[in-house]
Amino acid sequence: MIRNREFWLVVLSGLSLGVLGVLLSLWGNPENSGICVSCFIENSAGALGLHDNQRMQYLRPELIGFVLGSVVSALISRDFRSRGGSAPLSRLFLGIFMIFGCAVFIGCPIKLLLRLTAGDITAVAGVVGLVVGVWVGLKGLAHGVEFAPQSQSKASGGILIPGMFILLLVFFIVRPGFLLFSSQGGGAQYAPWQVALFVGIGLGALAQRSRFCITGSIRNFLLMGLRTPALWGLLTFIVAALMVNLITGKFNFGLYGQPGAHLEYIWSFLGMGLVGWISVLIGGCPFRQLIKAGEGDVDAGLVVIGMFIGGALSQSWGIAATASGVSMYGKITILAGFALITVLSMFCRVRST
Amino acid sequence: MKIYHLMRMFIALVVFFAIAGCKTEGKRQVVKIGYMLCNSEQETSQRFLPLTKYLSDKVGVDFVMVPVDTHDFEKRFKAGEFTFTHTNSLIYIVLRENQGVQLLASEKRGKLGSRSAGAIIARKGSGIEKLADIRGKRMAFGPMLAPTGYLAEYDMMLAAGINPENDLGHYTIPPGSYKHEKLIYGVLYGMYDVAAAPVMDLENMTRDGKIAADDLVILAQSKPIPYCTFGVAKDVDPGLVKKVKDALLSLKPTDTAMIDGEQLKVMKAAWIDGYEELLDSDYDQIRDMAKRVNMPPYQKY
Amino acid sequence: MFKDTFDKLCWLFLIVVLISTVVLIYTNIGTGSEKRAAGPSKTLERELSYRARVDLINQLYLPVENLRKEGNNQTALLKLDELIRKYPTEAHGHILQGDILQRMGAFDEAISSYVEGVKLNGDYVDTKSPLSRRAEIQKLVDGGLKDVGPRVAANPNNRSLVIARQKLNYLKSRLAGGCE
Repeated sequence: MIRNREFWLVVLSGLSLGVLGVLLSLWGNPENSGICVSCFIENSAGALGLHDNQRMQYLRPELIGFVLGSVVSALISRDFRSRGGSAPLSRLFLGIFMIFGCAVFIGCPIKLLLRLTAGDITAVAGVVGLVVGVWVGLKGLAHGVEFAPQSQSKASGGILIPGMFILLLVFFIVRPGFLLFSSQGGGAQYAPWQVALFVGIGLGALAQRSRFCITGSIRNFLLMGLRTPALWGLLTFIVAALMVNLITGKFNFGLYGQPGAHLEYIWSFLGMGLVGWISVLIGGCPFRQLIKAGEGDVDAGLVVIGMFIGGALSQSWGIAATASGVSMYGKITILAGFALITVLSMFCRVRST
Repeated sequence: MKIYHLMRMFIALVVFFAIAGCKTEGKRQVVKIGYMLCNSEQETSQRFLPLTKYLSDKVGVDFVMVPVDTHDFEKRFKAGEFTFTHTNSLIYIVLRENQGVQLLASEKRGKLGSRSAGAIIARKGSGIEKLADIRGKRMAFGPMLAPTGYLAEYDMMLAAGINPENDLGHYTIPPGSYKHEKLIYGVLYGMYDVAAAPVMDLENMTRDGKIAADDLVILAQSKPIPYCTFGVAKDVDPGLVKKVKDALLSLKPTDTAMIDGEQLKVMKAAWIDGYEELLDSDYDQIRDMAKRVNMPPYQKY
Repeated sequence: MFKDTFDKLCWLFLIVVLISTVVLIYTNIGTGSEKRAAGPSKTLERELSYRARVDLINQLYLPVENLRKEGNNQTALLKLDELIRKYPTEAHGHILQGDILQRMGAFDEAISSYVEGVKLNGDYVDTKSPLSRRAEIQKLVDGGLKDVGPRVAANPNNRSLVIARQKLNYLKSRLAGGCE
């Protein structure tokens, strides 16, 4: 396996995500949120005026970088193909609920590992939830739960999401008056934008080449055991992030007083469980959806749109959890998410006759 | 013959349904709670009857309310007239030291939660600006066994080198009910120059619009000390004690009790914000005060 | 995509639209018309209203602050009570109340007030905010955990102490930052 190019690409991706995930926090991003796709989406939705939480509004250059890095890499390697047509509306809704799951846990699967490697052991419930969610998703796949296959002929909008992110980059640089930027709170904490954009592009390109994804790695491990390179990428991520946290003094082992964390373990478990399950059904975690959207995947593009809607609603409707815990709306939303994915699983199941 | 059989069956059925319809009330254990009178017996009963009923409903025991005058409290407790006690913190210490009463829960009310403080007040513009100015003045205290209406203020004066027995023009304790309110009004309308007022009463009267925050000058104020306290006799069934404690600590603003066919909100009726679990060591401040002021249960003659 | 006349017309139209857009932007830069069209900068607008709000808060609570500075904590608390009843969702009253209660030695109630205030408005734990009370809250949390920790260990079944520790941990978590 170690002579395999794919193996080293995955390991390099894991290493880069782990190291830069911690360093971005050191350079100005919120604690344990050096990279957090769901937080970045909530921030960016706020910057575009889609929600009114004045502490969560900043157009995150990393997010733009992930997509544009993927676009560039896909164009160079001739991977850019406009494709789609697989249960588009279902994916849009699942994108919304994926962010709700993240918002209740407070973070996407990447942040889950960043929190864990910074000593936040409240994240353990999320890890267990994510693994269980992926496992349940795989059981569904094994029993014929799958969306209709994609088709190249049905999709011509592959350039729209890259185009949208180019426009966001223009907005970020030109700063038109309608764009909102927090002056307090998490939205006011950011690394220098050039650094953030550059890191985003680099990670986007690497992830496009390696197809690295947290939930994908767990899925592959559950399917193939130690033979999967993705597992080594995941382990490299964890070890690298842990080392950088220890070296930079960011490691703070404990249950209490952790940044952006709550003690409602059941809901952390369920939130990440929902994310894991959805990720298996739609083919990747929030980060992977951005990368795929950059490759011209229209279905992933719809998930990205859904994630922006989810990011806006999780703030506007008070779904997002805080250090004080998970709101009633957050809890109801998670249960609604499970109801939705169960119904979708029943309806899109290919039953053997 | 048939009619005779039918008659017998009818009578048997009537008797059966009559027995089945009987309530089982009165068969439950009856436990008495002694409530120290606050301002008057009527007010104390109105405040704590819903709470007593709530406890009966929650614990499954028929609690009976016994209103008790402050000065008779220890004597009546010793006589076995009641098992649970609801008193101020000083009486709790007296009962603890002399009768072995156990701490159950402390009442939360007002800004300071399960604690209150004692203050020495004067009317704004009266020329009395600091504690030293009260020498030779007319002062009113609350009841003698009031921790924040007498004990705390007396202690503060001794700490400031003012002996209430010798250094004041004279001091008095207003007669009758509503003593704390009377002496606050007394200062406001010039009957007394200074008074010992519980902070809780100042807070309540300000909230009710009876006085304004600017009307009075607070010359000195004690550290917050525990206030109203539920206690229980030492030999009571631990299972019952735990149930009562749980019921008190889990009391919510929405909890109600049925009194004379009317559902009343327990906390609102009792003017409280709930109960808290303090440690007996939290009452040590009051013990120290009582020792310094030479008050029960440490009084030496 | 250059097969027939329709394709060519589409390309032509696209080029015309793009050139027009560039010309429109170029000719309007610096004239102020783009600002008029978009309205004033929302960020600036919000910053102005934020500053005005901070000024209003300071003005509103000035009598309480003055009483507190003079050491008239109880009178300050009575004044504050009126303001909290008038503006129950305004965090500043709760934060000031926490400060006063802490000075008065009502530690548990001070923590509750701070928690209430921070929940209503996280600006009080931010370093950058003009409303920041981060240093005071940090001091309260550090001292509180040192005091409450051993008491909880000695009385693990005491619910009030456990709640006090939970509240301190909430404040600690907010002080630690994070994205929420």
